[in-house]
Amino acid sequence: MAALLTMETGDNTAGMVSRTATSMRDEAALVARATAGDSRAFEALYRAHVDRVYGLCLRMTGNVGEAEDCAQEAFIQAWKQLGRFRGDSAFGTWMHRIAVNAVLGRIRKSKREQDRIQVAAEMGSSPASIGDSGELRDLSDAIDRLPEGARHVFVLNAVYGYSHEESSDMLGVAVGTTKAQLHRARRLLAQQLEEQGFEA
Amino acid sequence: MNERRDDKLTAAARQLATEIKPQRDLWPDIERAIAEPEPRRTRATPMFAQAAAIVLLVGASSGLTYLAVKDDRPVVIAQPTPEYTFARASFGSSYTLGNDYLETRADVVARFERQLERLSPAERQDVEQSLEIIRGAIDDINAALQQDPDNTLLQDLLMKTYHEELNVMRKVGGVARSVMSRRDI
Repeated sequence: MAALLTMETGDNTAGMVSRTATSMRDEAALVARATAGDSRAFEALYRAHVDRVYGLCLRMTGNVGEAEDCAQEAFIQAWKQLGRFRGDSAFGTWMHRIAVNAVLGRIRKSKREQDRIQVAAEMGSSPASIGDSGELRDLSDAIDRLPEGARHVFVLNAVYGYSHEESSDMLGVAVGTTKAQLHRARRLLAQQLEEQGFEA
Repeated sequence: MNERRDDKLTAAARQLATEIKPQRDLWPDIERAIAEPEPRRTRATPMFAQAAAIVLLVGASSGLTYLAVKDDRPVVIAQPTPEYTFARASFGSSYTLGNDYLETRADVVARFERQLERLSPAERQDVEQSLEIIRGAIDDINAALQQDPDNTLLQDLLMKTYHEELNVMRKVGGVARSVMSRRDI
């Protein structure tokens, strides 16, 4: 159930496309059932997407507790807003939008962001680096130490592959702002990594 | 140089894990939250219900006050005149109460306070209770407007309630009716 959106490795592209199409149909059916109030179907959607939603929340917040709360809030909001999901984008993309909103809403409500930056500067590895290996952990840690705006744009754009238009839409800022923040993020990351003796 | 650096960073970033498993299962809390019945009330409903209640209350109190003071019986009482505080509209720095209203109000308040001393204790109590209700309503509407500053219904209601306050004082003080509308704010 956890692998509704199948990630295939290997050369069987036709098989992968076919399986992905089947998964998408399955997912559409689950969304329809969940929209009708079937919480079991919604749980299946949760199981399929929670790692990706939580991953985004963790990379955006850099804090396990905050990320758990944001991911939870995102799924609760998704349940409430299922009737508005028209299938124009993939369910996973729609969930990411809700998760970004949950993270931004939480940051707006709390002043903890300043504390988080302080803690991140004092601590070693970021919790998000758990999923990474080797040198990527250093990059993950460096991302976690970025200022909020630059970090959010870098995570959406560079890590999750969203376009500037998609990132700006999710974050509620101008496209020019995401471009400037991405440039800033790259510059700061390069500085950090150079200081640590890595060739950027 | 910068382009090569950016490319390397982007390539490295694409290898970062996009799926991270939470340390605990979040589903039980989510399931509990979505199982709770959705409150049917919208945010606007209580505000308008409150507004309607305020209109009824203000109208009733104004009527009662009129009945209480319509017989112009001068009664000298010894109690001191209470100080009536004036709650200004507080919905946004771009809005202020108009000068015409403020001048009229100052005139009405002066006459009202003079006349109030001549009422009997019972009549005086009626007037004070009415004004207390109206001023409570003004506070409530101002609080609602702080949440929703552009709500024209609430702005109108606030002006009507200020108007009711003036009417009560006018009836007591025998002062000519003031002119005020939402444009005065």
